[in-house]
Amino acid sequence: MPKQKAMLIDIKRCIGCGSCETACKQLHGFNTELERSLSDTAFTVIESRGDKFVRKVCMHCNDPACASACPVGAIKKTALGPVVYDADKCIGCRYCMLACPYQVPRYQWSKLAPFVKKCDMCSERVKAGNQPACTEACPVQASIFGDRDELIAVAWNRIRTDSSYVPRIYGTTEAGGGSVLFVSDVEFEKLGFKPLPTGNQPVPTLTAAAMGDSPKVVIMGGTILSALYWITQRRREVALAEAEEKVAVNRIKGERS
Amino acid sequence: MTARISSKITLWRVIVAIIFVTGLYATYVRFFEGFRASTNLSDQMPWGLWVGLGTLCGIGLSAAGFGISAAVYLLGMKRFRPILRASILIRFLGYCTVMVGYLYEIGLPWRFWHPIVMWNSRSVLFDVCMCIMTYFTVLTFEFAPAVIEKLPWKGFRETILRYHHRILTGVVLAGVLLSSMHQSFLGGLYLIAEGRVHPLWYSPYMHAMFYMSAIPAGLALTVMAVYLSMRSLNVRVDFTILSDCGRIIQLLLIVFVFFRMLDLVANHALHYAFQFTPEAGYFWLEVGLFMVAPILLLSSAKVRDNPDGLYWTCAMVVAGLIVNRLNVSINALQTAMGTHYVPKWTELASSVLVIAAAVMAFRYAVIYLDILPKAKAELPPRDGEQRTRRAGVRANA
Repeated sequence: MPKQKAMLIDIKRCIGCGSCETACKQLHGFNTELERSLSDTAFTVIESRGDKFVRKVCMHCNDPACASACPVGAIKKTALGPVVYDADKCIGCRYCMLACPYQVPRYQWSKLAPFVKKCDMCSERVKAGNQPACTEACPVQASIFGDRDELIAVAWNRIRTDSSYVPRIYGTTEAGGGSVLFVSDVEFEKLGFKPLPTGNQPVPTLTAAAMGDSPKVVIMGGTILSALYWITQRRREVALAEAEEKVAVNRIKGERS
Repeated sequence: MTARISSKITLWRVIVAIIFVTGLYATYVRFFEGFRASTNLSDQMPWGLWVGLGTLCGIGLSAAGFGISAAVYLLGMKRFRPILRASILIRFLGYCTVMVGYLYEIGLPWRFWHPIVMWNSRSVLFDVCMCIMTYFTVLTFEFAPAVIEKLPWKGFRETILRYHHRILTGVVLAGVLLSSMHQSFLGGLYLIAEGRVHPLWYSPYMHAMFYMSAIPAGLALTVMAVYLSMRSLNVRVDFTILSDCGRIIQLLLIVFVFFRMLDLVANHALHYAFQFTPEAGYFWLEVGLFMVAPILLLSSAKVRDNPDGLYWTCAMVVAGLIVNRLNVSINALQTAMGTHYVPKWTELASSVLVIAAAVMAFRYAVIYLDILPKAKAELPPRDGEQRTRRAGVRANA
C-alpha cells in the first residue's frame, strides 16, 4: 500500500502570482490567460479575499461526493490520493457537479462531445513519482506536495512556531478529510470556506441512509402487498364457495319439497 | 379542394404544427450545436428544465398507474378496472418521454447504455436508472395485451395472453415496488446537495416527500386524460369512478400536506416561508396550487361531481406538482449556487415536443386500441358506411 500523497496550501505564504495556474494551463495545453473562477480550462484559480489569496482547487476528498454520485463509476479516489476521472465511462449526466460540496467539477458546455473537467492532482505525474505542475511552479513554496502524514506534521509545526496561524488545518477532517490541506493566518470562514453540510462526516453519508433503508422498505412493502393480495383472493374464494353452497342447499330444499 | 384543406386547419392543428416545427428545430440545435447553443445551463446550474420538467415531472406524473394497478390487481378493487388500461398507457408513454428526454439531458447520448454495464451501487442516480429500465420492461409487459389482442393470429394471441395472465400478479407486484423505489429516489437525488437546496425543500426525508406527492398528482393526470378522452373521443366511462378518484386525490393530498408540514417543522425551516425572498414566493405558490386550493375544492361535492370542476381541480394538482418539482430542481438551488437560471426557449420547445408526441400517441392508442370502454359501435369505414349503419340499426332493434 503506497503512502497517501497530499498538497499543503499555505494562505499566509501565497503571494497570488498565479504561477500555479499558468503551470497547470501549460501542462494541459490551455490558453494561459488567467481566469477569475474555475472553468473547463482552469482547474485551479487564485481568488483574492481582502489582502489574502486563496487557491481554489479540487479538495481530493477521501470519500468524494462526486465519486459516490456518479452512476457509472467514472470518478474514483485512488490510493495515492488523487480523485481521478475516467472520460471513457462518463455519460455526461453532470450529477457530480450537483453533488460536490465545493462546487469544483466543470463542464465543457461549448463542445459537441462534452466532458467533465477538474483537477486530478496530475495523477500521472504523481504515479511516476513526480509532483504536480502547480506545486513545482510555486516560487514561494506556498503550495507543497508530499506524503499526507508528513505534510500534516509540517503544517502543525508551522502553526506551533508561528502564533499568527489559525490553529486548524482545513482538509484533515472536513467532509471526511481529503488530500488537499490548507493553513491560514485568517479564519477560514472569512476566506470564503463555507461551512459544510455534513461537518466532518463524508458527504455520501447523506444518501447512504436513504439508500440503506430501501431494501428494508422493499421487503416490507412486498410482504404487505403479497399478504393483501392473498387476503383478497381468499375472500373471493370464500365468497364463491359460500355462494355455491347456498345454491346447493337451495336445490336440495327444492328437491325435498 | 381548398375548402376541404382549410376546414381541416383548426386552432389545435396549428398549435401542434408550431410545437413540432419549433421542437424539431430545438432538437437539431441540441444535437448538432451543443449545450451552449441550446440551453442556459452553466457550471452553477448543471441541471435545468430538462431534468426538472422532463424527468422529475415526467416520472412524477406517471405515478398514478401503479396505485391503480395495485388497487385492481392486488386489492381486488374491480371498480377502477375501466380506467386501469388508460393509467397503464399514461405510465408507459410517460416513461417513454423520460427516456427520450434522457438522450437530450446527457452530454454523450450515444453512451446511454453505460449504466447497464458500468455499475456504481452507491449512486442514487444509478439506482434511478436501473429502476426506470426495469420498470419500463414491467410496463411494456403490462401494456402488451392491448396490442397483442389486436393481432390477427388467433392461436398465437390466446397462448400469449394465457401465459401473460399467469404471471401478471407477480409482475404487477414487482412494478409497484420498483415504482415506489424510483419515485422516492428521484427526490433522493437532491439529498446529497444539502446546504445548496433551500431549507424550504431540503429535508433528510426528501425522497419520502417526492413519493407522497407523486401519487395524487399522477392520479390527477389520469383523471384529466380520461375526461379529455370522454369529451373528444368515442369513449364512455362511469363518471362516478372519476369522482371517487377526486376523493382519493384529496385524501392523498391531505396525507402529503400533513407530512410536508411536519417535516418543515421538524427541520426548523418553517420560518423561511415568512421571509421576503423569492424562495418564499415559490413556496407559497406551491402551497396554494398543490395543497390548499385542491383540498378545499375537492371537499365540495359540487366540484367533485361536476366534470369541468373536477377536471380543472385535477389540472391544478398537476400544475402544483410541476411547480414543486421545478422548485426543488431549479428555484431552491439558485441562491446557493450563485446564479439565476431562466431556460432558453429551445429547452422548453424540445420538452414540449416530447410531451406533445406522447399526448398524440395517447390519443391514437385510445382510438385504435381498447384502452377505455367505447361509447358506441366503432365508426364505420368510409366505403362500407351504408352497410354498417344498417347493421347497427338491426342490432339496436
